[in-house]
Amino acid sequence: MESKYNNKIITWSKVATVFFLILMAAADVIGVSSARYLCVTWTGRTDTLALAIFTIVYYAITVMAFILLISVFKLLSNMSRDLVFDRKNTRLMTAIVLALVFTGFFFVLLAFVWGEAAFLALTAWFMALIVLSVKVVFDKAIVMKNDLDLTI
Amino acid sequence: MAIIVNLDVVMAKRKISSGDLAEKIGITPANLSILKNQKAKAVRFSTLNDLCRVLDCQPGDILEFRDDPEDQETGD
Repeated sequence: MESKYNNKIITWSKVATVFFLILMAAADVIGVSSARYLCVTWTGRTDTLALAIFTIVYYAITVMAFILLISVFKLLSNMSRDLVFDRKNTRLMTAIVLALVFTGFFFVLLAFVWGEAAFLALTAWFMALIVLSVKVVFDKAIVMKNDLDLTI
Repeated sequence: MAIIVNLDVVMAKRKISSGDLAEKIGITPANLSILKNQKAKAVRFSTLNDLCRVLDCQPGDILEFRDDPEDQETGD
């Protein structure tokens, strides 16, 4: 019963991840115009420097989002194959943490033209901290599992 | 590891094969191989009990402590 429930969660999470990947691809296709639109509506600035920083950060963050979403998708696929306490998963979590940390730095860069982006940077780093904590728990669990596997 | 498993010696004395022993104590031959090849991290009392019963020996016949100066691990 519980396993069926978990499998449904994993399946729907994978569907959501694919949906977000499609959104990211769409965001990349209309990147230049949407970055310009966001820059004008959020900052009220139309100068070249603001537009350039907004466009660069926009594309950099979509790249980070791709890394993050692909890692999440692979993580969920491993979970659905009952591959839970495995080094592959902790490596994927490391990729997620790094993507979030770099996202935070890009938001800091954006904060020079749009101050509120500093809060987004803090949010990204906070999320990185949570994923890092889960990764450490998984690392410990892998060591314990290996010990248990070698207990006869 | 300072603890040596002398299972192969006891098995040779009792003239019992790995397959037979694994079947009699209810573990897989792969796990018995891990135990014989000093790869095991721990042995359950229940497994030790079954080994001693089937091989008609004492735990000390199977397990031996040899001091290893290079192996100073305490918590592992």
